[in-house]
Amino acid sequence: MIRDTWKKLKSDRYGMTGLIVVMIFAMIALLVWSGLLGQGWSDVTGNRFEGVSSKHLFGTNLLGQDILQRTLFGTATAFEVGLVVTVSSTLLGTVLGGLAGWYAHGWLDEIILWLKGVLDSIPFYLFAAAVAFALQGSPWAMHLAMIVTFWTTTARIIRGEVMRIKQREFIEAARAIGLPGLKTVFRHVLPNTVHVLLVQGTIVFVAAINTEVILSFLGLGIQDGVSWGLMLAESSQEVLAGHFGNFFAAGASLFLLLMGFNLLADALQDALDTRRALI
Amino acid sequence: MTTPALKVTNLSVWFENGSSRLTVVDQISFSINAGDATGLVGESGCGKTMTAMAILGLLPESGVNVRSDGIEINGRDISTLNTGQRRAVLGRDIAMIFQQPATALDPVFTMGQQISAVYRRHTGGSKQQARKSMLQALESVGFSDADDIAASYPHELSGGMRQLAMIAMATVCKPAVIIADEPTTALDNSTRALILEQLKHLRKLHRTAILFISHDLAVVRQICRDVMVMYCGRLMEKTDCQSLFAHARHPYSAGLLSCIPQISDTQPPPIKSIPGQIPAPADLPLGCHFAPRCNRAEAQCRTSIPQLDCDNGTGAACFRPL
Amino acid sequence: MNTSNLVNTPPLLEIRDLSLSFHQQAQVAVDRVSLNLAAGRTLGLVGASGAGKSSIARAILRLVKPDSGEILFKGKDIYRMNPHDLKATRQRIQLVFQDPSVSLSPRRTVEQTLREPLQHFAIGDADHQRQKIRGILQTVGLDQGALNRYPHQFSSGQQQRIAIARALITNPDLLIADEAVSSLDVSIQAQILQLIQMLQKDFGISILFISHDLAVIRQIADDVAVMYQGQLLEQSPADQFFSGPSHPYSKSLLSFAQGKTPSGWPDDKWYLERTRQSTGDASTCVFSGYCPDKMPVCERLEPAMHDIHHKNQHVLGPYCVKCHLYDEVKINDH
Repeated sequence: MIRDTWKKLKSDRYGMTGLIVVMIFAMIALLVWSGLLGQGWSDVTGNRFEGVSSKHLFGTNLLGQDILQRTLFGTATAFEVGLVVTVSSTLLGTVLGGLAGWYAHGWLDEIILWLKGVLDSIPFYLFAAAVAFALQGSPWAMHLAMIVTFWTTTARIIRGEVMRIKQREFIEAARAIGLPGLKTVFRHVLPNTVHVLLVQGTIVFVAAINTEVILSFLGLGIQDGVSWGLMLAESSQEVLAGHFGNFFAAGASLFLLLMGFNLLADALQDALDTRRALI
Repeated sequence: MTTPALKVTNLSVWFENGSSRLTVVDQISFSINAGDATGLVGESGCGKTMTAMAILGLLPESGVNVRSDGIEINGRDISTLNTGQRRAVLGRDIAMIFQQPATALDPVFTMGQQISAVYRRHTGGSKQQARKSMLQALESVGFSDADDIAASYPHELSGGMRQLAMIAMATVCKPAVIIADEPTTALDNSTRALILEQLKHLRKLHRTAILFISHDLAVVRQICRDVMVMYCGRLMEKTDCQSLFAHARHPYSAGLLSCIPQISDTQPPPIKSIPGQIPAPADLPLGCHFAPRCNRAEAQCRTSIPQLDCDNGTGAACFRPL
Repeated sequence: MNTSNLVNTPPLLEIRDLSLSFHQQAQVAVDRVSLNLAAGRTLGLVGASGAGKSSIARAILRLVKPDSGEILFKGKDIYRMNPHDLKATRQRIQLVFQDPSVSLSPRRTVEQTLREPLQHFAIGDADHQRQKIRGILQTVGLDQGALNRYPHQFSSGQQQRIAIARALITNPDLLIADEAVSSLDVSIQAQILQLIQMLQKDFGISILFISHDLAVIRQIADDVAVMYQGQLLEQSPADQFFSGPSHPYSKSLLSFAQGKTPSGWPDDKWYLERTRQSTGDASTCVFSGYCPDKMPVCERLEPAMHDIHHKNQHVLGPYCVKCHLYDEVKINDH
């Protein structure tokens, strides 16, 4: 199954490009986490607004910090935010959406749908600010705000998928031998949503990073450390003074990573489609 | 020698996958005269639907290769036409009836709207003309309440009625050729009988040539005069129905016939089947495709490809026909 | 074909006055049907689509809840069983669906699919289960390499073999085949029918074979039951049915199946009527709207199910018809 998907993915040039780009960034993130790269993100190592040189490959920012170091560290931040938010919201969304779909039109479904409705109608940034305030500047405030609102999209998709899959005959076959509901959901229904989840996961990852950028602009983003969003926020002032270092570094990185993810997501969706013959 | 309504010469369809080639239709040639019905019979995956799609030019441009020495409708070769010209031909000179009328019809338009739309696209007539032709078409397939049917949406009609409406849609422009792809497979026996009756009636009325694709030999026998048996992309036998049923010459045709369950009032004989399985397109044997399953196969069968053994393009593609 | 002596054996499956409707469609799917299936025999349940055949199958497995009536398996009412007995019963009744490409779980390997019933019903330990899995694969004609593959990697004929293997691995007493060969090509259909016949002989299972195709039923059934619009119209031994069915509807079915339009058929195309509404009305014969042999009484009163007495002593199995033509007891002569 995985082998087939891999074979199909390999033949998709755009998808492979996306995958390679993502892998490169992931490697950088890993190296940063293990302390081998980007550790000097907060050190003031030069004069302010130094241009590109062999000492500072991307130049320095307003405070004389090395932009390259900050960009590398930002990679790790992006992945951290992305992974935490994606994994948590996907898990939460899958479980709640799965239960809602399986017991569709029942009381559990009604409750979950109501919850979804409420969360969906709160303006996100207001909510994020409220959460940040409530958690008094904790570094996880932003993640929490995102998780609590992102799960609804996944849940809605999974609920729909589960309702569809429920009708199919292999579920009837499981019921025919008397398999209990929960076992059926986890053994037969949810594995068939993996292809949807994978694609949705990449979309959420992208959304998380994007959201972090905006939150940083609002001052609600990363509190300790640096992220591309923060760099972009800084650059909004710097650009007016004619210094583009921060802007290009963060902007280009953001663009490349998100583009890579999008290409990968599209290719994954095609590769996971079992109906397409391996021709 | 009159020009046949439909003449296909050496039609092939294949997929290319890097270095390997998967051939799903292999040099098919046949012709059907006006007013005649020929059956194209074979099991799933033998290439019959691909053949129909290739004739109509409905296969996607990329990924699939189609080649022929000619697809002629009343003498005019349509294989060389571009998309725009092809679209003019479809529906007017040649039309198709599909297996699942429910999915082939648009659910948000009434039957009348859909049929009239086909008419107007090809003849550019006025709305009144279109409506008249549309009602005529519906009546010609047996609807006594054509007005009612025209005002109905597809989901309001039963399966049999939908299929009849599809036939009306296919015949409203009075095409020279109709390709029917398993039109009765999804229907009950009684509705099936009715659909076949209507097709026969239309064939006589408009002198339409019909290519009737089916896996069901018994159904083909009821409506077609000639029949072609297809296996793994090749024609195994081409003859008239009576001869096939009386004495099939190709071992595959004979095997297929013996598998058909019969209704008898005495105890039925034990069930017969053809041993082995249909090979996948990627694993086609060299030589005769049927050789591995054939109890009459000899060395020659595994190395050379038998051709249809009669000069006028009929007979059995076999070195040792029955 | 089975000719065991079962005059005194209680039926394996007894359906008594079963009624079922789908409230969302306000349609009566099964209308007071009573059916018996004897052990070791194959009952062919035939009728047009929508006649209620599949609903009966699902009711037997408790996949749908009937409105009224009883279903007894080995003498016990399956709707009144305690959970323990119900589980044991489910092990003894298995179902094979029409389309194997959707009845097998797509993300489970063949081995996982075959192991699931064994694990669920706690049959044997791991070793024993492995043995059974290998054994059943061989029986249905698949090689051991199939174990690690997924359903979409097989042809439809092979997929149906896997579905049959899954059904038989628990050694059921009753196999329900719901249009199990209808979507298969003729040559594969023949192979699967041969397989089913062989399995019945070797394992002695009873089969409820649902199909709309009379020719297939002819090859495999010992008894035939005909359904129309949710009602059971006729039940008779196969030989008797195919040499001369009793009910006018059965006669028309047989004619159509033989490629002939039955004589006396009304001219207006009744079979074209729009999506039907079944009313469950007991004041007329359900077929009276279209019956060529209709009598005045048919529109006033629903016929009762009459037994047909056969002078041939060796006729086994029920022989009855729901039709006013048989209101006086007739001796059937052929």
